[in-house]
Amino acid sequence: MIEAIFPITFGSEELRLLTAIGLGFMFGFSLERAGFGNARKLAGQFYFNDMTVFKVMFTAILVAMVGLYSLSAIGLLDMTRMWINPTFMWAQLVGGFMLGVGFIMSGLCPGTSVVSAASGRWDGLVTFSGIFVGSFLFAVMLEWFPVLERLYTGGSLGDSVLPALLRVPTPLFILGVVAMAGAAFVAAERVEQAFRRRREPVELTPEPTRHAPRYKFAVAGGLVVVGLLATGATAPEIEQPDRQIAAIAPLQLADDIISGNPGLVILDLRQEDDTASGIPGAIRITTDRSAQTVLLSAGQWAKVVVYDEFGDARTALGTWPQHFEYRFLSGGLRAWRAEVMTPAEPAGHGSAEREFIARQNQIAAFFSGTAARPTPVAAPPVVAGGTQTKKKKSMGC
Amino acid sequence: MKARPYWNPYLAGVLLGVTLLATFLIAGQGLGASAFPKRVIATVGQEVAPEWTAANPSLGLYLEDDANPLRNWLVVEVVGVMLGGLLGALSAGRFKPAVEKGPRISTRGRLAYALGGGIIMGFAAALARGCTSGQALSGGALLATGSWAFMLMVFAGGYAFAYLVRKQWT
Repeated sequence: MIEAIFPITFGSEELRLLTAIGLGFMFGFSLERAGFGNARKLAGQFYFNDMTVFKVMFTAILVAMVGLYSLSAIGLLDMTRMWINPTFMWAQLVGGFMLGVGFIMSGLCPGTSVVSAASGRWDGLVTFSGIFVGSFLFAVMLEWFPVLERLYTGGSLGDSVLPALLRVPTPLFILGVVAMAGAAFVAAERVEQAFRRRREPVELTPEPTRHAPRYKFAVAGGLVVVGLLATGATAPEIEQPDRQIAAIAPLQLADDIISGNPGLVILDLRQEDDTASGIPGAIRITTDRSAQTVLLSAGQWAKVVVYDEFGDARTALGTWPQHFEYRFLSGGLRAWRAEVMTPAEPAGHGSAEREFIARQNQIAAFFSGTAARPTPVAAPPVVAGGTQTKKKKSMGC
Repeated sequence: MKARPYWNPYLAGVLLGVTLLATFLIAGQGLGASAFPKRVIATVGQEVAPEWTAANPSLGLYLEDDANPLRNWLVVEVVGVMLGGLLGALSAGRFKPAVEKGPRISTRGRLAYALGGGIIMGFAAALARGCTSGQALSGGALLATGSWAFMLMVFAGGYAFAYLVRKQWT
C-alpha cells in the first residue's frame, strides 16, 4: 500500500494559507474564462438558451470526483482527513431553493459575483455587497425567530455521503453519476439548440478595453499581495494539524445513551463560562480537568464523543491519545437541543414518519426528565453519518 | 480588436475541476465563496458586540478558536478569486465598468434586483452553510448528501422564479 500523502500536512498555517492565493486565482480565472463574470450569460441557464452553468459545473464535479476516488482507491489520498460538508437536510433544502431565487434575481451566485465585480461590473459589486447584508440578516433573525434556529440545526445527518446513504458501492455510484452526466450533457446541447432557434442570442461580450496598462497594475497588485502573505508566512508558528474525525448525529447519540452503551465517554468542550446545562452524563473539560486526564481512566475500547456549542469540536483533538474512537456531535449542543430536547410534530401522514416522531418525542421526554427510559432501538433509519468510523480506508463516499 | 471568445464550457469545466481537485489534495477541503462575507461580519461583530457575536449560532463558531476569523483558508482564497477574475477579464479584453442588463430595464432597476438577489443569497448561504461553490461544487464532488439536495434546490428555485424576472435580461 502506498502511503497517503494527500491532503498535504503543512508545517505552518501560513504556508497553507499561501496556497489559497494560487488556488483561488485558478478558481477565479476558470470562472472568468467560462463566462461567469457576466450575469446575462449565467442567467441564460434558467431560460434554456445557454446551459453553460450546467456544463461547466458538472464537468468540474466529474473531474474532481473521479480524481478523488481514484487517488483514494490507490491509497495516495486519505479521505478520513478530508473536510466533508455536514448534512443538515432541511436547512440545505430551504437554503438551496432561496439561493436559486437570489441567483436568478442577480444573475450571479456568490462566487461568480466576485468575478463579475473583478471584471468591472457594477451589478456584480452590488450583488456581492448584498451578500454581506444577507449573511448579517440571517445572524440577527436567528435570534429573533427560534423556528429559524430549528431549521438551521435540524435534520442533521453528520458527514453523510450519497453512496453510504443509498447503500450503493462507491465505484458503482460514481459510474452512475458519470453516465447520467454524459446523458445530461447531450440533452443540454439539444435544449440549447432548440431554444436558441427561437431567439437571437444576446451579444454578451463588451467592447474591448485598452488593457496594456491595467495589466501592469494587476500584476503589481498581485505581487504586493503575495509579498505580504509571504512576509506573514515567515513567522514560524508551528500548529498541530487538525485531526479529522467522524460525526455522530444527535438522535444517534441519544440512542447510545439510552441503550447504556458501556464504552461511551462524552466530553463537554464548551467554554467554562457557559453555564447552560449540557448533555446528561457528559464530563465537562476545564482548565483543571484536561481531556487527557479524563481519558487516562477510560477503558481501552472507549468510544469518545466530543461536543461544544456549535459542532466545531473536532478541531480540539490535536494531542489527544490516538487509540480511542472519536466522534464529534454534529451541530453541537444547539443541534442536540433542537432535535433531542424538542418534541417534534408530524408534517405528513406516513406511518414511518409517525413512528419516527413518536420515538423522537419519547427521547425528548426522557432527556427532559418527564418520562421513563424509552425502549432502545437501532439508530433511526435516516441517520447515516454517525455510523462511519474513522478507520474507513476508501473514499468517504 | 474584439474581446476574445469564452472558452468551450467543457474545457473551462476541466480547468475548474482540476483546480477543485488540487484544492482538495492540498488544503483538505473544497473551494468556497460565502465564508468570506460571514467571516468579515464575525470580525466586525467581535469588535462591535463581542458577546452577541460569540453567542450567535451562525457567527460564534468563527470565534471559538480565539484566532482572527479572517486568518482562514477560504478568506485568502476569495482574495485569489478576485485577482484571478481581474487578470482573466483583462487578458481577454473583457474588463469594462458596466452594468449587465437587457434593454427593457433601467440601470437602477437592474441594480435593485442585483442587491435583492445578493441579500437573499447571503441569507440562503448562511442558512445552508455554503453556496454554489462550497456546497454544490465542492460538496457535490465529495457526494455529500446535503450538498446534492442543495444543488437540486438551487436549480429548482432558479427555474421557478426565472419567468418573473425575465424583463431584466431580454
